[in-house]
Amino acid sequence: MESMALPLLYLAFLSYMLGILAGAICVNKGQIGAVLTFGAAALGGGFGLLAAISFLGAHNLPTLNAELLPLSLPNVGLTIRLDSLSAFFTLIISVVGLALSIYSVGYARDFAMRKSVGVMGSLFNALLLATSIVFLADNAFSFVFVWEIMAAVSYLLISFEHEDSETRRAGIVFFVMSHIGTGCLILGFLLLFQASGSYSFSSFHNIGMSMASGPRDAAFLLFVIGFGVKAGIVPFHIWLPVAHPVAPSNVSALLSGVIIKTGIYGLTRVCFDFLGEPPLWWGVVILVMGTISALIGVLYALMEHDLKRLLAYHSIENIGIIWMGLGAALIFLTTHHPVLAALALIAGLYHTLNHAIFKALLFLGAGAVLHSTGLRNMEEMGGLVKRMPRTALYFLIGSVAISALPPLNGFVSEWLTYQALLQGFNATPSLARLLFPIGAALLALTGALAAACFVKAFAITFLAQPRSARAAQAHEVSKTMLAGMGMLSALCFGLGLFPAQFVAIFDSLTLQLTGCAISGQIGSDTVILSGLGENAETLAPLGIGIAAICLLPIPLALWWWFGRGAERRVGPTWDCGLRELTPRMEYTATGFSKPLRIIFRGIFRPHRALSSSFEFSRYFATTIRFETRVEETFEKRFYRPMQRLILVGSRRMRALQAGSLQAYLIYIFVTFLILLVVCL
Amino acid sequence: MTPMPVDPDFSSRIIMLLTTFVLVVQLMMVTQRTLVGNIHLFAVQSLLLCGVAGTIAWVHQATHVYFVLALMLVGKVIALPLFLIKLVRRIKINEELKPMFNSPVGMLLCGGFALLGHVVARPFAGRSPLINSTFGIAIALVLMGLFLMINRRTAINQVLALLCAENGLFLAAISLTTFGMPLVVELGIFFDLFVAVMVLGILVFRIRETFASIDVERLNQLKG
Repeated sequence: MESMALPLLYLAFLSYMLGILAGAICVNKGQIGAVLTFGAAALGGGFGLLAAISFLGAHNLPTLNAELLPLSLPNVGLTIRLDSLSAFFTLIISVVGLALSIYSVGYARDFAMRKSVGVMGSLFNALLLATSIVFLADNAFSFVFVWEIMAAVSYLLISFEHEDSETRRAGIVFFVMSHIGTGCLILGFLLLFQASGSYSFSSFHNIGMSMASGPRDAAFLLFVIGFGVKAGIVPFHIWLPVAHPVAPSNVSALLSGVIIKTGIYGLTRVCFDFLGEPPLWWGVVILVMGTISALIGVLYALMEHDLKRLLAYHSIENIGIIWMGLGAALIFLTTHHPVLAALALIAGLYHTLNHAIFKALLFLGAGAVLHSTGLRNMEEMGGLVKRMPRTALYFLIGSVAISALPPLNGFVSEWLTYQALLQGFNATPSLARLLFPIGAALLALTGALAAACFVKAFAITFLAQPRSARAAQAHEVSKTMLAGMGMLSALCFGLGLFPAQFVAIFDSLTLQLTGCAISGQIGSDTVILSGLGENAETLAPLGIGIAAICLLPIPLALWWWFGRGAERRVGPTWDCGLRELTPRMEYTATGFSKPLRIIFRGIFRPHRALSSSFEFSRYFATTIRFETRVEETFEKRFYRPMQRLILVGSRRMRALQAGSLQAYLIYIFVTFLILLVVCL
Repeated sequence: MTPMPVDPDFSSRIIMLLTTFVLVVQLMMVTQRTLVGNIHLFAVQSLLLCGVAGTIAWVHQATHVYFVLALMLVGKVIALPLFLIKLVRRIKINEELKPMFNSPVGMLLCGGFALLGHVVARPFAGRSPLINSTFGIAIALVLMGLFLMINRRTAINQVLALLCAENGLFLAAISLTTFGMPLVVELGIFFDLFVAVMVLGILVFRIRETFASIDVERLNQLKG
């Protein structure tokens, strides 16, 4: 039977293109432009979702090939290929894109007064289109081409509010880092091309086996840097916490939810499809980078009081967790444990999907708060749960999911990652086995810190009394925005409660990449794991969910039983004898994170300054000013010296730039002559 | 009507003759000091190349080469020279050119380039009877075009030199592959050149307005 996947994909592309066009036509039409462009984007997301489901649903479908733009030139046609990995990532972008588009219809109203909504919608569609094609590109040329379009459109969206100098700077940092990454990717693909003689991805399949180890390792490292920059892995992450928060929130959600996942896609594609059986140290590198990212990301997130920057740091953390899964999978491939490799890969990819959903949800929540109050600094918020109850509920769901608490989706994928890591100790012979328990321990620490961070984020933002007038005047956001968030919240529950049903779609994927399908070994209602190792453990999230619901009446019953005869009094909160409670007495985000700032001061190197002025006694200060900030270690110790080096080098190079046209022509001419004589 | 069969030996001799003339015209351009004279010489050179292309198209019955030929005839023999002459008249450049090397040295260097082109072309000699000499001349043309660009200081001359180098490329393409480059590539290059000439024409105006001269040496004042 002919698959419907390709026609559906074409429909998705067509919708995105119509969206781009509609935005271009309705540049100054305000809300009409928003409805048309984001409506088209939602339609595109819907079609993409159907395409991905129809491909993944029909098991072991052969890879589909098609040509988007027929060009007569060899190797460079814009061809696409749909295999299970591509379909999986298409699923991610489509489902997130759909929810974001619905949300954006309402959110764009925020911009309608001062910016062109049509332009934003147009670029939003273009970003979705380019990114969809990144996941589908079938040769290195078209991959890099759409990759660059994606980067350029991301840049335009990041600097959408370019009136602000912070935004402009963020855009430039993003642009520079993105190009460093792309440079590495181009070099990597050229190395592969050297071995295969063609740019098409099908010719790259297992090409690593026919390469010498030198170029093969070089290609691996180049791809790690190239895709690492896009994914925002430490130490290539510096652009991420700068660039993601300044974009409009729906775009932040898309960037953090989906665009950084192109790095994961690329790494998976290259490591598991192209480079063949990996040496041990590749997996070790990925695993170590992932562990460090997870920890560093969450630590910096804890110190952050800007809600969107906090979320951006959490993206670094979660990308780290995903890389841990991928690294473990690579190590298992080296040690010939295909079942474990499949498990670790599923853990990584499942977390990719989960992170896309809950991170998009959280950014949308932050966007709703920003939309309603105009605030990004948590210290000025508070009390929003009364004013925006549904937003608060959705944000809470996202927080629980990202903190990896059952029964939501974040728990399932982090649990799978633990499983893979814990089983790795027995499965790996050499000293590298020690990495697994250490990684698992650090992952546990990361999870705990993330939970602490979201206690802070939720509590300071939504609970207690409003700390500023703008927070006090907050109001619930529009229906479309709530619908977008609600959809993602439902997915958080769905993917958390029914993972076993979902894991089945990974079968053809793991079969293709690791040579092993394991959904058969996963019981029908337990996620994992019978017969995988000696100490197999099982887990049924649905069971946990049902248990939670069943246990819920018990405290209620206890409350009812013991509270029967008691008298019920309603009185004011005890205020230690002061006249009234003011928001200034509330716990602050800075105060909440203080213990952790002290414990990890070796990393943060906190700077604090206290100055107070008083009239007659030090004990009765009239004003107190307290300032604290943490050091941006990577910028200061890694990027600044590098920047200085480049500037010095450039100054030296300037001697060559005589500024005379004749001199430049002579350079060209002499080069040409030398090439002619040497090469022919 | 079936076309008249052409003696391949005869046709290759005609092509040989025409390309030699092309080379001679190029050498004349190196020594020619007036700008308008140079433009005329360029038109003549392009016309000779049209002859080469026409012969090849006739011998091999290659329809798309006719198309390229028409493009060349309209563009390089008529339109571009007319445009450049008009430009020269409008901005009233003084006729005398200031080369970096004097004529004898220039001629000697160009002789060297011709020789180098011949040496470089030798590995390709076996492919077809035509390549033997035409490809060498083509490379020599490109080299001389670049040399002209360095040698002359005014912007219009450099445009002209660029066009000459492109003529060399055209000759290389039709001598190497016999049928010329794919039409798409040919069209692309032609369009590029056209844009380049237009941009440079406008630029020449600007440079003259700003510096009251079109000597590109003065551009280094712009250096930061």
